[in-house]
Amino acid sequence: MDAIAGRDMLTSVADDLRIAGMTRPAPVAFTFDGVELRAPEGESLAAALIASGIRRLGEGLDPARPRAALCMMGVCQQCLVRVDGRLAQSCLVPVRAGMLVAPA
Amino acid sequence: MIDIAVLGAGPAGMAAATQAAQRGASVVLFDESPAPGGQVYRAAPAGYAMPRDADRAEGDALRAALAASNAVVRTGHRVWGVGGGPLVPLGEAAAPFRLDALAPDGSNTITEARALVLATGTHERIIPFPGWTLPGVLGLAAATILLKANGVLPGRRVVVAGAGPLLYAVAAKLAKAGATVAAVVDLAATSEWIAALPALMARPDLLARGAAWRASLTLKGVPVLAAHRIVAAEGVGVLQRVRVAPLAGGDYRVFDCDALTIGHGLVPATEATRAFRAAHRYVAESGGWVPVLDEDRRTSIPLLYACGDGSGVRGAAAAPASGRVAALAALRDLGLIDAASHATSRASPAADFARASRAGGAMARMMALRPALVAAIPPETIICRCEGVTRAQIEAAVEDGATAMNQVKQFTRCGMGPCQGRLCGEAAAELVAARVGGREKAGFATGRVPLRPVAMDALLGDFDYADIPVPRPAPI
Repeated sequence: MDAIAGRDMLTSVADDLRIAGMTRPAPVAFTFDGVELRAPEGESLAAALIASGIRRLGEGLDPARPRAALCMMGVCQQCLVRVDGRLAQSCLVPVRAGMLVAPA
Repeated sequence: MIDIAVLGAGPAGMAAATQAAQRGASVVLFDESPAPGGQVYRAAPAGYAMPRDADRAEGDALRAALAASNAVVRTGHRVWGVGGGPLVPLGEAAAPFRLDALAPDGSNTITEARALVLATGTHERIIPFPGWTLPGVLGLAAATILLKANGVLPGRRVVVAGAGPLLYAVAAKLAKAGATVAAVVDLAATSEWIAALPALMARPDLLARGAAWRASLTLKGVPVLAAHRIVAAEGVGVLQRVRVAPLAGGDYRVFDCDALTIGHGLVPATEATRAFRAAHRYVAESGGWVPVLDEDRRTSIPLLYACGDGSGVRGAAAAPASGRVAALAALRDLGLIDAASHATSRASPAADFARASRAGGAMARMMALRPALVAAIPPETIICRCEGVTRAQIEAAVEDGATAMNQVKQFTRCGMGPCQGRLCGEAAAELVAARVGGREKAGFATGRVPLRPVAMDALLGDFDYADIPVPRPAPI
């Protein structure tokens, strides 16, 4: 399975999962696995990926337990990605313009 | 050195820090999040304007009181090291407490405090089931964070499953925000909710909110299945559907979905009290292992206190009162207030805590671990996601002679990964307990530093290879 195979499957259903009717900062661009995405600055990176239809964040060490957001509060360590080369919990990282995110 | 350090800026920690600072103590409050609030009162990120609700108003009030106090608030600080207190070489007197934290810029900070108040909150219990590792499966508490702090739906078509009031809160919020709730799958039978009603009578506001959630789901035609469980999550690469069956057994039902939010209750985060080797006891209806506390929230370690859900689940309404009781005890023990002032001041928060605990305790009982769920886990299901350890491997370790959690960890690596057993610990301990004669016997993994993953370069600072002290060669 491709690292972000979940994306294609989901884009048709969920091109944007952001709830309407709230004020957000202006969207900024960042890349995940080479693909440019946009999200409000300061949104949790895990939330930004989910909102873009990316649930499978990486293959990790074993396809039976791929990287995916699970607890969203920094406890479970399942949403690990590389942000500008460093291992990070995507649920705790705020989106910044130009950040380079890669599967871990 | 400061008087009181408080770890965790949820409702209990915010109230404890505010109380202590108002009475003249020097206080530093630490939290990993960018703003105080904890999970329940999590602040929206900068630049967001979220609709107001009762929770947000409560959190804003605690934040305002904290901001008006002299407490130093260090948010964005990841406390990975606890030390001092009793953690000194044998024969030496207890030292001041020491907290090591990574600051937002990645540098390490060291804080010494005469007393330490722990308000570390809870994390969610998710009992594994086949397919729970599929992307698209996430926690109930995770769903509330996505909704409340980010305004993002976990999926378009969501199954909401598990136990406790969060189930209906999440389902109602999802439906209101435009998601399709494919089903609510409640472990509890209707009779269990009815049995909890008398304790909730003290909180008509909660009852009304709960009733409104249920009504909104009924209105939208959402199927609510009582005494049912998720048997499996399925899909190719990501979640596509779940299988649901009655707890008593019987026919499966299949619900297509792109997200499953599931939670089986809340577990007190006791890694710090465990690291200090404080006395603990197992109380299922408080969420599991909790530190042994006196009525003023003193642990078995002098000048170490625990409050809020991290010391036993009683809910957000009870947490500030328990934080104030802990802070007053710390102030008294440090000699910053006298006995008479302590006695007068503690009466009101102690009464508040007792009152709020009634409803909170009833909800905690609804969220207590259900051994039948653990018994139903198939042998090949992964329990420890960090290290890929299955139920069969954990049980084989017990067969091979492991008698408690520490040994199971050493035999299998279960709980040895980056989450340090926070995700797998409950199911693994329950599997061990079933074979060794209970959770008290199964015990828990010893608490160890680092409490959170920390990068080596942050630990090393500017310490370089050349700085390694080389002992002089021994004379021949």
